[in-house]
Amino acid sequence: MFLKTLITPGRVFRDIADGNELVIHAVHRQTFLLVILPPIFAWVGATTFGWRLGAEDPLYFDNTARIIISFFYAMALGFGYITTVLLASWMAKTYGAKGDLEATGALITVIVAPLSIASIAHLYPQVFFNVLVMIPAVIWSMNLLYRGLPVVMQIPPERGMLMSSSLVGWLLVAFVSLLGISAGLWTYGIGPSVGV
Amino acid sequence: MAELTKEVYHDGVVKRLVQFSIIWAVLGMLVGVWLAAELLWPGLDFGQFWLSFGRLRPLHTNGIIFGFGVSALMATAFYSVQRTSNVPLFLPQLAWICCYGWQVIVLTGGLSLLAGWTSSKEYAELEWPFDIAITVLWVCFAVVFFGTIANRRIKNIYVSNWFYGGLIIVIAMLHIVNNLAIPVTIDNSSSIFAGAQDAIVQWWYGHNAVGFLLTGGFLGMVYYFLPKQANQPIWSYRLSVVSFWAFTYTYIWAGPHHLHYNSIPEWVQSLGMVMSLILLAPSWATMINGIMTVSKAWKKLTVDPALKFIVLALAFYGLATFEGPMMAIRSVNVVSHFTDWTIGHVHSGALGWNAMITYGTFYFMVPRMMGVPLYSVRLANIHFWLALGGTMLYIIAMWGAGISQGLLWLSIDEIGELSYSFNEVMAGMVPYYGLRLLAGLIFLSGTVIMAYNLFRTMYGRNTVAVSPPEVIDDIKGTAHNPDAVMGVSPDDEMPSAGKGVPA
Repeated sequence: MFLKTLITPGRVFRDIADGNELVIHAVHRQTFLLVILPPIFAWVGATTFGWRLGAEDPLYFDNTARIIISFFYAMALGFGYITTVLLASWMAKTYGAKGDLEATGALITVIVAPLSIASIAHLYPQVFFNVLVMIPAVIWSMNLLYRGLPVVMQIPPERGMLMSSSLVGWLLVAFVSLLGISAGLWTYGIGPSVGV
Repeated sequence: MAELTKEVYHDGVVKRLVQFSIIWAVLGMLVGVWLAAELLWPGLDFGQFWLSFGRLRPLHTNGIIFGFGVSALMATAFYSVQRTSNVPLFLPQLAWICCYGWQVIVLTGGLSLLAGWTSSKEYAELEWPFDIAITVLWVCFAVVFFGTIANRRIKNIYVSNWFYGGLIIVIAMLHIVNNLAIPVTIDNSSSIFAGAQDAIVQWWYGHNAVGFLLTGGFLGMVYYFLPKQANQPIWSYRLSVVSFWAFTYTYIWAGPHHLHYNSIPEWVQSLGMVMSLILLAPSWATMINGIMTVSKAWKKLTVDPALKFIVLALAFYGLATFEGPMMAIRSVNVVSHFTDWTIGHVHSGALGWNAMITYGTFYFMVPRMMGVPLYSVRLANIHFWLALGGTMLYIIAMWGAGISQGLLWLSIDEIGELSYSFNEVMAGMVPYYGLRLLAGLIFLSGTVIMAYNLFRTMYGRNTVAVSPPEVIDDIKGTAHNPDAVMGVSPDDEMPSAGKGVPA
């Protein structure tokens, strides 16, 4: 199923739209994995290589800090997933779309799958390397969002385009919140040692 | 009523302002791309002072804000104020003076920046002769705009005009106060403010130029063109008016967040931070109002390129107006300030919000003014994806660079000394600057495509003559819908291949 969502997402979208329980449940089963993979990769990468932010020497921090960061990362991704599903389901009413939680959850899982897989780049936490790997993943995920949402939500592509753009707005805000919260936590001594 | 039928809206000046705006957009972005390349290859200044980063950078910002932005704001304000007041422009000759006078200021002001004339105040670099000329032209703009409103045949003043009016009044106040100076020579002056006061006044100006010009003015565009495009009244007119006053009251206090951890009193910094956080409420009220207006209209909606741009612009508006208050929090600002994160934030607003809402508005306005369909919908759709891709790539690159810079600059070793030198950190930024250059090129290529598309749409044609619709007495009615305010005017409908002159 994991490969199917990556290789033939169109078929998966149609199966979800048709209410194919087997497919929907199979997609749901991989959600947990997709949420915890990035923090695990991040922890392994930070332990092995340290954070490489562009300077010659990598930035290392102790195991407690690494675990705390990975834990917060997992919590943030879980919270982000749940709120995105709830928000998309809530928005569906406004756009006259079919927005039951089960199908919406499966849709969001398929959309985030490329991002989660690309997080394998966290194993080598060189920021620019991660940016380079994540850019195609973001493009692929946005493509899935714009393509898949009208199919699963059963609305015309034009209206799906508007709803997808609204969701992009939310996802951008969610991501930048993650950056802001991280910066705030660093300032308060959680994570890397900064001289504030 | 007989005299009404002889009147036509003055759209010629609108068309000319749109053309100038597009030209400045291409030139301003080209300079931006050149600057991005200079950060990678400093030798691109060829040893010429006028090509140095320090002179090109204010040319880029002034060209985009005052050339592209203000020309677009004047165009859309003149277009919409006539249609929401049901009268042609007041003193149309003065409107033409505004149009050409403004372009002369932008052109000569830009050349003066290249020559090294500068007051050194960000976004207010132009020297005192230009400041006086701007003030005179701005008063002309105000006379035409408020004169048209004073002559209106509709009782209510539609909300877009409140935002445009706010832009005109507040920018006049900011410009005059911040540029108070004693002239020394033709190309030099001394500000009457000094030290911390100078910094506070400068950022009171700088942040509110962003607030009332790049946000408030462009919200005027949203409130007129979004309901027109969606063919639907604003979702909540009451919310739009409340958010206008909340926005106006709150924004003016937020400037000190540019001076966190600086030599101004801490309570001033905290006040700026708190007001920035409060600002999120009116900002998002407008975004929600806009998105709900579109979403309520889906049953009768046919998506054209204009609407795609406008909806996406609202999404980026949501991002920028959330990110701004968040970066104003002192514990976040300590990491983000002076890093490329700030540059990314500015461009999520400038590219994602300002440029996209302007592009959407031009795609709406130009075919209607010319009475022909858009030259190529396909090119407009290609432009949409280039604009989205360019913006995303730009902000992702700057987020990566900014977070890295913030962390590295603050990193301390076991004995409490800074772990990395400034040079060492900046040397690691080269790959991000390469990505930024690529993003800028992608966005610029989309803008060039739009310029070609719109100039082909306008080429060899005059604007169609549109008369104000008849109104009965002073209408007390529903001011929340521009259609209801204006009645149905002939330019409301999008020309199709079967109507007007075929493409």
